[in-house]
Amino acid sequence: MKGKRLLLTVFCMLAVMLLTSCWNSRELNEMAIVTGMGIDKAPDKDEYRVTFQIVNPSSTATSMGASTGQPTITVYSATDRTLFGALRKTSKKAARQLFFAHTQLVVIGEDMARSGIDDIFDVFERSHELRLNATVLVSRGDDANSIMKILLPIESLPAMGLVKKVRNTAAIWGENRDITIFELINGITGEGEVVISGIRVIGDKEEGKKKANLEQTEVKAIPAISGLGVFKKGKLVTWLEGSEAKGVLWVQNKIDQTTVNIDTEGSEASVAVDINYSKTAINVELREGVPVFHVHIQEEGKISETRGFMDLSNGDEIAKLEEQLAKQTKEAAIRSIQAAQRLESDIFDFGNELKRLRPKEWEAVKEDWSSLFAQGKLDVRVEAHIRGTGMRLKPYLQNKDESN
Amino acid sequence: MPGNQDPLLSAKLADNLQEIRDRLGNSPDLIIRKFELVTSLIEVAAIYINGLNDKDIVDEFITHIMAFDTLGGDGPQLNSVNGIYQFMKGKALSTGEEKVIRDWKELFAALLSGNTIVLVDGLAEAIGGNTSGGEVRAVTEASTQVAIRGSKESFTESIGTNLSLVRRRIKNANLWIETMKIGVVTQTDVAIMYMNGIAKESVIQKLKQKLQGIHIDAILESGYIEQLIEENKYSPFPTLYNTERPDSVAGNLMEGRIAIFVDGTPFVLIAPTTFFMFFHAVEDYYQRYDISTLIRLLRFMCLIISLFGPGLFVAALNFHQEMIPTPLLINLASQREGVPFPTFIEALLLEVTFEIIREAGIRMPSPIGQTVSIIGGLVLGQAAVQAGIVSPAMVIVVSLTGISSFATPAFNMALSVRILRFIIMFIAAFMGLYGMCVFSFILIAHLCSLSSLGIPYMSPMGPFIPQNQQDAVFRLPFQFMKNRPRLISQKKHNKRIR
Repeated sequence: MKGKRLLLTVFCMLAVMLLTSCWNSRELNEMAIVTGMGIDKAPDKDEYRVTFQIVNPSSTATSMGASTGQPTITVYSATDRTLFGALRKTSKKAARQLFFAHTQLVVIGEDMARSGIDDIFDVFERSHELRLNATVLVSRGDDANSIMKILLPIESLPAMGLVKKVRNTAAIWGENRDITIFELINGITGEGEVVISGIRVIGDKEEGKKKANLEQTEVKAIPAISGLGVFKKGKLVTWLEGSEAKGVLWVQNKIDQTTVNIDTEGSEASVAVDINYSKTAINVELREGVPVFHVHIQEEGKISETRGFMDLSNGDEIAKLEEQLAKQTKEAAIRSIQAAQRLESDIFDFGNELKRLRPKEWEAVKEDWSSLFAQGKLDVRVEAHIRGTGMRLKPYLQNKDESN
Repeated sequence: MPGNQDPLLSAKLADNLQEIRDRLGNSPDLIIRKFELVTSLIEVAAIYINGLNDKDIVDEFITHIMAFDTLGGDGPQLNSVNGIYQFMKGKALSTGEEKVIRDWKELFAALLSGNTIVLVDGLAEAIGGNTSGGEVRAVTEASTQVAIRGSKESFTESIGTNLSLVRRRIKNANLWIETMKIGVVTQTDVAIMYMNGIAKESVIQKLKQKLQGIHIDAILESGYIEQLIEENKYSPFPTLYNTERPDSVAGNLMEGRIAIFVDGTPFVLIAPTTFFMFFHAVEDYYQRYDISTLIRLLRFMCLIISLFGPGLFVAALNFHQEMIPTPLLINLASQREGVPFPTFIEALLLEVTFEIIREAGIRMPSPIGQTVSIIGGLVLGQAAVQAGIVSPAMVIVVSLTGISSFATPAFNMALSVRILRFIIMFIAAFMGLYGMCVFSFILIAHLCSLSSLGIPYMSPMGPFIPQNQQDAVFRLPFQFMKNRPRLISQKKHNKRIR
């Protein structure tokens, strides 16, 4: 009796298993792993031209078998009215079904960015394969298609290499940031505007596609992260560079680590301070109908290099440097906010902050927030601390005043 | 059965001897030594089976019993059959166990378990003296449950030796032993041993009932008994623990468990058994608690690897590619490039190969066994990868699984895990992680439904017993291991540390 019941159970379980008939089972060698996607505007038509960067597994460096000599990636592109249509249309060219769960990078062509990006991300949210944590970049002065085709030295997969570049520079230089589709969608649906880092190819694009390009110490084409694209109503309006871009990230509280060359008496930008902690608090209030932006930056760093003599064992010297550091940080922050105000683009999410803190007041001003934002008053305070001077106090250079 | 039809011995010696010869089919190992008493000319015969006895003891027994004859007739009683018989009985006692035998069944039982039987002409009774001995294997080092630190003794095939090995470790009057014979034909000696006062009465009764309920021709190993008294015969999990280490038996007796000794095998059963016992080794208690705890955790990790390893790999590669980190996925994809089989077939192929190597190596003499594993493991594995039949990652997964399965201290548990691994692989190939989760639920529910002599198999986890957690997954320092297993030992003697 017990045995019969067991058999029946086993039978049912087997049936359940077999009836599923492994409907979504896919072998690794039957899929094309997409690591990067480029989205361009098709010329003359209201269509997308989508470029897929696909891994060529047999020629990645880790492969055991004989290398085929092909490049590590291959690129397909297709045009269609929808992104999904384009990616299915690629099947005409690709031998394997595209697999999107490992898409690390989405590059948007500059033309596309200038004509508006608000409507392209639906498929990323809707599809179970596409991921929202892919990094987004805007190809600067170029179409995304050509960025997708460039092979990188050291990094065998270019899409992943580019993502690493953004993360690397965002982590230690602080003029760009790694923005994901998820953050982008939040930015688009929120009250503020978005910024996206730019990428530009330096050198000869045609050479960059060839594997032979990699067989030299200095490659002929290298994509580099360049500038911070400022969007307004979903359209790219301008690029911010250098300290302005850094100021944006400072106000956005996205500085992880960065370097500031601060001025000293008599010489400009002669002390390098390595900022290793930075925190920004924002408060927005309305005073007589005009918004006031309170930005409070706290930063800590250590001195990494000095170009002249400086008695760093003296606390007063350090205090002076801290003051100067605070001043320069403040200037950068103010410059970046003013730049955004000129563009009437609230890339700092001040609007969201006001909405969160004072929802009633927000209701009154939300209609013409962008013009109010441009008139907003600034209250930037910076607390800077220098916590160390590295492995030594006084530089090896003699103090000229003393030696004389 | 012969012997049941005419239970009583005859009074004539010649008839008796003839009967014995007939029944044993004139077996050449039956030794009959006949004497004629000098004093009274009465015929006496000593019979025994060659090889079951210690020859010196037999000789001593016969010398003792005949002592009056050489001393010369002394007193009138020695001239009569009855007088001689009474004297012999008294003398026989001095050599050890002695019993009076009246019927054939008893005579053969005694004879075949190594007694020497003395028959006197004119008497329908016989005297049996225990002279058993003969060739037995010496107590050697344990071969299946090796411990770096701890006793080097292990059980032998002789039940008497085995009982004494435990007795030497627990010098307490409450160490009780009960014996019985099981096996209608083999009449195998079986003994149960427990600590009176610690082991639960109800459990002992239940075990005795089960043992008495066995009606099988032959008991050749404790495995027979294990399979016959198990409550969950269709479960893949073993519900009785076996060991060949006396210290393990002693430890388990002190926790209130019962040991079942079977003559002819060094493997002693222990009941009631819980799931966690299979992952404990005696050494856990001999080494410090910190390393023991970590090693136990490692064993559970190995259990999980050996159960789910290939299944998880197949599921991840076929259904959940998004779960694998990108660089790893691309690495795996490049390895799979050119492999002609689906992942599941590849896994199955390697797993079956591994099982073949294992089975082939186990029964070989050890020098050849090593060759098998070298050819099988190294040459075959390497060649299969280079030929592109299987991917290197799969070889890693299968080898890791194989090694992990050896980390379970109990061999029979490792065997069950082996079976389940294949089932899980099938399910993973059909239903992915979802199927594996469902199967794990079923498995855990099944484990919780098992019992061993009425004690829940998963205790102290299901049911959860807080005071017994010190010695299940973890092994806490001795000062915290105050209680004996609550469900197994008697409540009033629950304190281990006073």
